[in-house]
Amino acid sequence: MRTLADAPAGGRSWAGLDDFQAFIDAGGMVEPGDDMPVEYRDEVFRFIEFHANSELMGGLTERDWIPHAPGLRLKQIFLAKTQDEIGHAHLLYMVAADMGVKTRTEMLEDLFVGRSRFHNVFHYQAVTWADQVAIAFLVDAAAFASQRAVFAECTYGPYKRILKRIVSEEGFHMRHGEEMLLRLATGTPTQHDMFQAALDRWWWPAVQLFGPDSPPGDTDPLIRWKIKSKRNEELRAAYVQKYVPLLQSYGFEIPDPELHQDADGTWVPGEIDWEPLKATMRQGGPDSARRIKTAADNWADTAWVREALA
Amino acid sequence: MIAGEPSVLDAALLESSTSSLTPDMLDALRAVHDPEYPDISIVDLGLVETVIALDGQVTVGLIPTFSGCPALAMIADDVRAAVESVDRVVSCQVEWLPSPVWAPERMSQTARKQLESYTVVLRGRDGSLRCPVCGSSDVNEQSMAGPTRCRSVSWCDSCRNPVEVMR
Repeated sequence: MRTLADAPAGGRSWAGLDDFQAFIDAGGMVEPGDDMPVEYRDEVFRFIEFHANSELMGGLTERDWIPHAPGLRLKQIFLAKTQDEIGHAHLLYMVAADMGVKTRTEMLEDLFVGRSRFHNVFHYQAVTWADQVAIAFLVDAAAFASQRAVFAECTYGPYKRILKRIVSEEGFHMRHGEEMLLRLATGTPTQHDMFQAALDRWWWPAVQLFGPDSPPGDTDPLIRWKIKSKRNEELRAAYVQKYVPLLQSYGFEIPDPELHQDADGTWVPGEIDWEPLKATMRQGGPDSARRIKTAADNWADTAWVREALA
Repeated sequence: MIAGEPSVLDAALLESSTSSLTPDMLDALRAVHDPEYPDISIVDLGLVETVIALDGQVTVGLIPTFSGCPALAMIADDVRAAVESVDRVVSCQVEWLPSPVWAPERMSQTARKQLESYTVVLRGRDGSLRCPVCGSSDVNEQSMAGPTRCRSVSWCDSCRNPVEVMR
């Protein structure tokens, strides 16, 4: 694991990509003041932009549930989580904009016209309160696992510093997710059925959040430049291994008829249909249009605030 | 009681005539961490104000950093569980005290250093700011609110990192 112990150096340059790779392989940390290779800058920028978009879209989903959350305490938690996610997006957009590829306004406008991407899970509709619990318990956990794996290495200093906070704050969200799940799992048969129905809707999107298998070897530049510390399939397998027995212990059924344990007890999911994930990447998920429109309307409705502050 | 160094806080709590804090209980309280920052103790954050024990019934008085803080219930649960695990403690009750009001001065140097490792910083007594990443004072506020109600967001123009400031 790469550390952030030293104050940022900056002002460095590299003779070429091989030279830069040697720096990364030796444990180097890139800072904004460095003359980083344009290929690295573009890849890291796209990754942070995707993360920022996902935090923003995730925050807006949480926000939808503030009025519907049962009880004052849960409303307070959803208010805080919404602020957390939007705040994370804010920090990430600052760092992304500083890279000089797109301005913050350009990133937001690209998001609102469907030109840039965000996590697949925010392209689906949360139908009932139990869906929101499934999101808090299952989807947040998947996002948390993938963020932790980025934080473990992460060669871009400012991104790693934000991730340190995000990862610790998401740990707090995990506890809320568990608490809410326990209430439904140990509640009435109706509550149990509600969560099962939500699980049927959210299991596959959560598993697909990790993406299809990473390209072989280190052909993925994000792995080569140590933004990602683990391959997609490794993270996905670890997630299935942890959440299958956990959900079963609460009496829920995983909506995968081919799911089984191999000889050494590892849970192996059935073949994954990647079509739904691909659809979300084209903004063609079941709820993509409505979600993007809601976010765009929100941006348009608040134009007067930006004008007043300018 | 305003806490400076953790040793001062511990000593003050241990010696106070209204306090029945034992070293065991202090260790238990120390092991309760901020739910968002799993390595920062609530004792170092200055949340513990009073500890009263009577025949194994312990009442811990805490003060919140922000009254609407969403972590309060979780912190109270953790404190109860920690204190009830101490020898000879039968039960523990947690109260959120309306006064005194929490202020950043209640945090120990340890907590400040730990927060800085998260790029979260406190203003100096004269209101000055220093970037916890590079030490520059070229830190400028960007927005009054950040990911939580207790922090605003600044930007360090020297090392180009966002810096969160405790309010």
